[in-house]
Amino acid sequence: MSNVRYLRHPDLRLTSLEGEGVILHLKERRYFSVNETGLLILEALKQPRTFAELVDAVLVEYDVSPEMAAETAKAFLDHCLASVVVEQLE
Amino acid sequence: MTKLPGISCNDTSVEAAVREWLADSRMRMPAGLTLRIEVVDEIAIVDDPRESFLQGDVDIRAGEPLGWVHLTWRTAPAFARIEEHRAEAIVQLSRAAVEQMDYLLRSFLLVALIFLWKRDRRFHVHAATAIDSKGRGWMLIGNSCSGKSTTSALLAARGWQVSTDDIAFIVDRGQRVAVEGFRSPVALRPGGLALIGGKDGFPLPHRGKTGFLPEALGGNWVQTVEPDIVLFTSVGGSHTTIVPASAAEIIRELMQWSMWVMFENTAAQEHLDLLTRLGGQARCYRASFAPDLFAAPNALEDFLP
Repeated sequence: MSNVRYLRHPDLRLTSLEGEGVILHLKERRYFSVNETGLLILEALKQPRTFAELVDAVLVEYDVSPEMAAETAKAFLDHCLASVVVEQLE
Repeated sequence: MTKLPGISCNDTSVEAAVREWLADSRMRMPAGLTLRIEVVDEIAIVDDPRESFLQGDVDIRAGEPLGWVHLTWRTAPAFARIEEHRAEAIVQLSRAAVEQMDYLLRSFLLVALIFLWKRDRRFHVHAATAIDSKGRGWMLIGNSCSGKSTTSALLAARGWQVSTDDIAFIVDRGQRVAVEGFRSPVALRPGGLALIGGKDGFPLPHRGKTGFLPEALGGNWVQTVEPDIVLFTSVGGSHTTIVPASAAEIIRELMQWSMWVMFENTAAQEHLDLLTRLGGQARCYRASFAPDLFAAPNALEDFLP
């Protein structure tokens, strides 16, 4: 299992309304919409987390298979890394 | 002249004009905030590599690497500096800027104050606010050509209490989000003026508009409104429509029209949370205004779904 840890960008601010999340990236001066699962993962990434810990966070909250949780977490994490919303810690 | 704390200026006539403008606005200037104005012969140019965001004719630069908020005015030399985590705005005005005092106040100094008031946890939204005959608070949010002012004038003419047609500040009132209005004339373009037909207006030359205080239109002014209904406004079509907004639309619109949240870390999370609470507190709709609004006996109420 990979020990690589991830952390959300310190300039992010999060909020949600009726399950619709918004991420405000202060440094980039941009905002993004995210779904409930994305918001859950970003909340978890306030502290450094491994991928396995993110999958666990999804499994605790949703009644889905481990494979589905891993797939969801990976897709969202990849998107966040590409958008510089989440950073991979060295 | 009302005494307001925290304002200093090396030019007594400029200081008097600023104090009078703020007293007329009825906005509080809490003791913890400081507006330090200096009238100078020459404005020092600050080498600032940051990308500029243009608001009206004010260039806003914020964020790293300098950190502080840097404002410059395109109309005449003027400069403001607001440090992160400091409740002070340092403003330098050229003589040329001071010669256009009315416009300077509303255009440049207002933006400096918007950043300063953030430090008092009052967050600007481009919105009009009013209270209807049933005591419900309404908030109309949108850009400068989206019908806020003309509708505000219509509502005043129908006897509603009107707070502001554009300069609104959301504040935390415990259980509720409230909106404080900056008292200033409802400003109508010629098209809006033709629809309203008011006679007691006065010219606002820099804006090409005619100004009316709510009282001159038949309404009353009220400082604070607690929104129960929020409309994201636009103008167009032959019929006025008001349809429910989705949660995604609500949050996106609120952020767009209170974009100050994006410029600095100061109170950003509180600002964001307050916008979200406002979206949860009020019933929110997308509204498209058309001339039939002016024939409706109960104005906006007649179009609510």
